[in-house]
Amino acid sequence: MSDHLKEAGLRLLRGLARHAEPIMDAYLSGSIADQALEPGVRERLLKDGILYRPEPGADLHLRRAVRALLEEALRDDRNRRIDANTGSALATFKTLADHYKEARHQGDYAAAEAYLGDLKEHVYAFGETLSHGIRVLWSRINNEFGYVGTLDAKIRENELAQSQVSELLAGLELVSFEMLAETAGDLRELRHLLVTNLQRTIGSCAQELSIVQGRLLELLGRFREIRGRTRLIKGWLLHLSQHPEYQVGSHAAGSTIPALLNRADPALAPASLSLHDPTQEAELLALLAQVRSQHPRESRVQALADAPVLTLTVPDDFEVRSSAIRAAVDAYFCEVIDSGEPLSALEYRDRQSLSNDAESWLYQVLGGYEGLPEEQKRYFELETIGEVHPLFSGNFIIRDLRLCLA
Amino acid sequence: MLSTKGQVIERLLGGAFICRTTDEDGWRFLRIQANREQVDAYLGQLNRLVVTIGTGPDSEVFFCGYRALGDAERKIISDQFRDICQALTPLVEWLVLVQDAAGQDAPLTEGMPVRLNELQTVIEDTPAFREQLSHLCRHSLFNSKSVDVDGQIKQIFTRLCKLGYLIRPNTEKQIYLATGKLDYLYEVIRFIDDAEGLNLEDQAESAVQGQLL
Repeated sequence: MSDHLKEAGLRLLRGLARHAEPIMDAYLSGSIADQALEPGVRERLLKDGILYRPEPGADLHLRRAVRALLEEALRDDRNRRIDANTGSALATFKTLADHYKEARHQGDYAAAEAYLGDLKEHVYAFGETLSHGIRVLWSRINNEFGYVGTLDAKIRENELAQSQVSELLAGLELVSFEMLAETAGDLRELRHLLVTNLQRTIGSCAQELSIVQGRLLELLGRFREIRGRTRLIKGWLLHLSQHPEYQVGSHAAGSTIPALLNRADPALAPASLSLHDPTQEAELLALLAQVRSQHPRESRVQALADAPVLTLTVPDDFEVRSSAIRAAVDAYFCEVIDSGEPLSALEYRDRQSLSNDAESWLYQVLGGYEGLPEEQKRYFELETIGEVHPLFSGNFIIRDLRLCLA
Repeated sequence: MLSTKGQVIERLLGGAFICRTTDEDGWRFLRIQANREQVDAYLGQLNRLVVTIGTGPDSEVFFCGYRALGDAERKIISDQFRDICQALTPLVEWLVLVQDAAGQDAPLTEGMPVRLNELQTVIEDTPAFREQLSHLCRHSLFNSKSVDVDGQIKQIFTRLCKLGYLIRPNTEKQIYLATGKLDYLYEVIRFIDDAEGLNLEDQAESAVQGQLL
């Protein structure tokens, strides 16, 4: 029989794996349309009890058990269901314990073993359900009901969670250990399972639930305060728009001033440096360095801010650095003035044995002549000696210059 | 270097509000009863004490108040109250604007971030918000002459930082954090609400219901 069960289970799990895609689609969107599935697959999933049709003509939904498995495995926030049905669990315990006792009494140890195994399964499942419920509550508290958008929705979610906690606590109160001890009688295994084990589980769950309850109340208080603040500021604006002449009374002038308004004036003025404290020398020097580096920038800013009136003044004279070749050109001009005779530039260069090459010397002389002030230029005449380019008309090649007095 | 106690005393005497956002070390220090008694003893010599506001366990705000109230102290307090009452309306309008523009259902409270760029984008894209912003700028508290949203909103944020309602932890980023002084503001409104029997929360609630109907 167990072989048969195992095979059926494996087939079911393989079916789940094979159709993982449509199952996840159904999980995420809540339902899946008939057309989205091939007819064969649809029949298979319906037959295996993975999907079901809640009412004729509706889309296919995931079975609660499959959904719960996914919610649990994925730690999904949307999981709000908490099983608080302690009463039926207790009744099951009692029934199974009675079966076990009866079987033992009749000496049917194999059946007794089977009942005990069953009972163990139920007790552990009960503990697991409780701790799962608490885990779900914590995960909702920890993200502060972030899965709903508005504050009012958060407050409603919080209230739901609180009612679930109360139900869980009420369920735990139903557990009467006296009764369980009586059920267990003097059978060691039963006592261990129903009294020791259950007591430990319930003790820790009750403790944790009371913490959960405290946190929920605290959160609710905070949500209400936030909502209160929103209403407070909106109400203030509303009040002012309805009563434009409204003036706040002088509440701070009465004999008793509320602590809220008791605000002292600032009483500290900036302190000054003590230049004679050698322990602060390093810091002071560092500050000084900063002041220096800031100084040029600041002064520029200041100069821009309060610039003096702009006046045009004669720019200061400055000296052009004289170069050897300029001096030579000047000497050449003086030579012409002194002698009063026309003098070829190249001839002068050769006579003075200047080191400059012919072309730059001629350029310099030309530049020197053109650079003269107009009234001085009138006293000279510069004659260009050369020839027209043989091939390209309009080009004159200067071979030499001759300067003479006009 | 000053100890935490010294820093706390200096900040309190400087008129600062100490909250978790502005000065976490000082805030943790003051939360311990024994430390507060020490600070109180020191401030007592200057006729001052530490005042606490805030309801939640993590949202206390500390500031410095007077121990004994003479005429001079009363004058200062009533001047301050008048100032804060004048600033109340523009600040509240700003809070509502930020809340509406961000589409949140919680108003700014201590520690909440405001991203200036995002806020600016929303306001620029919504004529109603632009209108509210330029209305805000006309208050003497903000007093921005700017005509574009960028200039207006930056002026407002700069003013709020200067007044201590916001801090900008990183000067390279346009992210601001609300400080405990905002919580103080809510307390002041709540106080006025109680003292004058305005029932502001009920007014807002019935207005919302009226809109729904």
